[in-house]
Amino acid sequence: MDFIVLVFSSFSLLADPVNFTYVILGFVIGTVFAAIPGLTATLAMALLLPLTYSLSVETALMACASIYMAGMCGGSITATTINIPGAPSSMMTALDGYPMQQQGKGALALGHAAMGSMFGGAVGALLLIALAPFVAELSLLVKTTGKFSLLAFALIVVVIAQRGRIPQAGLAACIGLMLATVGLDAMEPITRFTYGYSSLTAGIDLMPVIIGTFAIAEVLTQASARTDVIAAAAAASKVKIRRRDFLPPLSDIRKIGFGCYFKSCLIGYFVGTLPGAGGSMGSFLAYTETVRTSTEPETFGKGNPKGIAASESANNAVCGGAMVPMLTFGIPGDPITAIMLGVLVINGIQPGPQLMADQAGLIAPMLAALLFSAVVLIPLTLWLIGPYFIKIVSVRKDVLYAVIALLAVVGSYVATYSTFQMFMALGMGVLAFYLRRNGFPVITMLLGYILGPNLEEFLRRSLALSNGDPTTFFTNPDSLFFVALTLVFVYFLVIRNPAKPLAAVKTE
Amino acid sequence: MVFLYVTLAVSVGYLVTALSLGAPIAENGLTPAFFPILVGGAAIVFCSILIVQALRAEPEVAPVDEMPRYTHVWVVVAIFFYIVAFKPLGYFLSSGLFVFALILLFSKFEKLVLKAIISAAIVGVAFVMFQQLFGVRLPTLWG
Repeated sequence: MDFIVLVFSSFSLLADPVNFTYVILGFVIGTVFAAIPGLTATLAMALLLPLTYSLSVETALMACASIYMAGMCGGSITATTINIPGAPSSMMTALDGYPMQQQGKGALALGHAAMGSMFGGAVGALLLIALAPFVAELSLLVKTTGKFSLLAFALIVVVIAQRGRIPQAGLAACIGLMLATVGLDAMEPITRFTYGYSSLTAGIDLMPVIIGTFAIAEVLTQASARTDVIAAAAAASKVKIRRRDFLPPLSDIRKIGFGCYFKSCLIGYFVGTLPGAGGSMGSFLAYTETVRTSTEPETFGKGNPKGIAASESANNAVCGGAMVPMLTFGIPGDPITAIMLGVLVINGIQPGPQLMADQAGLIAPMLAALLFSAVVLIPLTLWLIGPYFIKIVSVRKDVLYAVIALLAVVGSYVATYSTFQMFMALGMGVLAFYLRRNGFPVITMLLGYILGPNLEEFLRRSLALSNGDPTTFFTNPDSLFFVALTLVFVYFLVIRNPAKPLAAVKTE
Repeated sequence: MVFLYVTLAVSVGYLVTALSLGAPIAENGLTPAFFPILVGGAAIVFCSILIVQALRAEPEVAPVDEMPRYTHVWVVVAIFFYIVAFKPLGYFLSSGLFVFALILLFSKFEKLVLKAIISAAIVGVAFVMFQQLFGVRLPTLWG
C-alpha cells in the first residue's frame, strides 16, 4: 500500500518543468521513432542511453517510461495509414486499421488505436503498481538455487519462444553468454578471454553492446536494404486527416465493449511478464482471442474497430507486464526493458527483490510517468499533432541515418571518453547486423549477455552450497517450481506444437 | 553458410581458450573454466545443427537481376575511420566528414553543397546537444 501511495505522490514530480519536459520529449521521440518504418522506440532509447548520464535517475527513468509507452502506440500510425507497421507490435493493428483507412475512416481507426493504447497502457501500469510489491515480496522466497533456475527458465523461454528457429535462438543466446564471460571472473581473481588486452579486463560494457546491437546494426541494415521509404513518404503525403475525425463515437466504444478492452489488457499484461515475448506476441494473442470469441469473426481483417482495440490494448498493457520481471528479478521482458535495466545499472541501482523496499523512491516516478503517458499523452498528442504524425515518414532517409550513426558512435564515447568503446560498439553492430541478416534473434543474444553473469554466479554458488550435488536444483522447492515451469513451457511450445514459426501462425 | 562457419570457428576458439583455463571442476566446486566450457560446447552443438540443416536444405536460387549491395560495408569503413580520426581531428572536422560521407552513401552523388550544409548543421546541433545540454566533453582540434 505504501508503494502505491508513493507512486501516486510521485505525480508531483511531473510538475517540475525539467521532468515534465523530458517526459514530453521522450514521448514525442518514442512516437516518431515508432511511427517511422524501420526505426523503433528501442533504437530511440539506445541512442538516448548515453545521455542519461547527465540526468538524475528519476528523470532518466521517467523519460524512458514515456518512450516505452509511446513506442507501443506510435507504430499504429503508419500501420493504419500506409499499411506499414512502424513497430512489430502494431502488425495486428494494420489488419483492420488499413482497411478502415481505405474506407476513408483512417482517422477514426487511429482514434480507436489511441483509445485502446490508453486503456491498455493504463491498466498495465495500474496492475504493475498494484502487483509489483507483492511479486517483490514473493521473490524474497527465491534463494540461490531458485535464482539460477529462474534465470535458466527465462533464457530457455526466450529461446523456445522463437518457434521455428530455436537453434538460431540458442546460438544467439550462446553468443551473448560468451560475451558475458569476457573479463574478470566474478568469484575468483582470474581474467578470461581478454587475450592480453587490459581494456577487456572489466568486461564488455553494456553501453556499446546496446548501441551496437540496436543503433549501428539498424544503420547497416538500412544501408543494405532495398526498401523504398520514398514510396511510403509519397503515400503518406496523400493522406488528409482532420483533428475532429480522431474521436471515436461512444456507440463504437460500446460496441467494442469493456470486456474486449479488459481481456486484451490482461492478455497483454501477462504476456509482458514472460521474458522475450514482447508486444507483438501480446497483440497477436489478444487479436486471435477477440476473433475467436466474436459473434461475427468474418468482419475481422476488413476494418473492424474491435480488432484495433484488442491489438492496441494488449501491446500497451505489455509495458506494465514487462517491467515486473525487470524490476523484481533483473530479467528484462523485451529489448526496451533490457535498455531500461541498463539505465538502472548504469546509475548504480541493482534490480531485484530488495529494490522495492530499498529504492522505491527511485522507481515510483517511473511508474507514475508510465501511467501519465498512457492516460494523458496518448490521446492528447494524437488529437493535437495527429494530423502531422503521418508526415513523419517523409523524413529524408540519408539525413535520418547519418544522424542516427553520429549519435550512436559519439554516444558510445560518452561512457568512458575512450575510443575503445566506440570500436566495441562498431564490432557489436557488425555482429548484430550479421545475426539479424541470417535470421538470428538479437534479443536472445542480448538476454544471454545480460543474464550470463548472474546465471554463472548462481550456478557456481548453488553447487558450492550443495558440495557439488546437482540434485539440489530438484530438491529445493523454489528451484523445483521454476524447473517445473520450464518443463511446462517446453511441453507447450516445443513438444505439443513443435517448430511452428510465428509468421506461419499469424497467417492462419 | 559463411556466417555459420565463422561462428563455428569462433566457438571452437572460445572452447579451446576455455579449456586452457584449467579443470572445470575442482574440490566439489566449479572453476572459472566450467561455464565457458559449457557455453562453448553448446554453441558448437547449435552451430553444427544449423550447418547440417543448411546443407540439407534446397539451395536457394538468387534473383538474376539483383546486384549485390555493399553500402553497409562502406558504412562500416566510414565508422571505422571516423573513430580513428575522432580524437586527432577533433569532433567538428571528423564528424562533419563522417556525416557528409554517410549522407552520400545513403543518397546520390549530387547537390553536394546542400549536403555539406546539412552535414554542418547536424554536427552543430549534435554538438549543442552533447556538450552544452548534457555536459559531455568532446575532443577538439585545438586541444
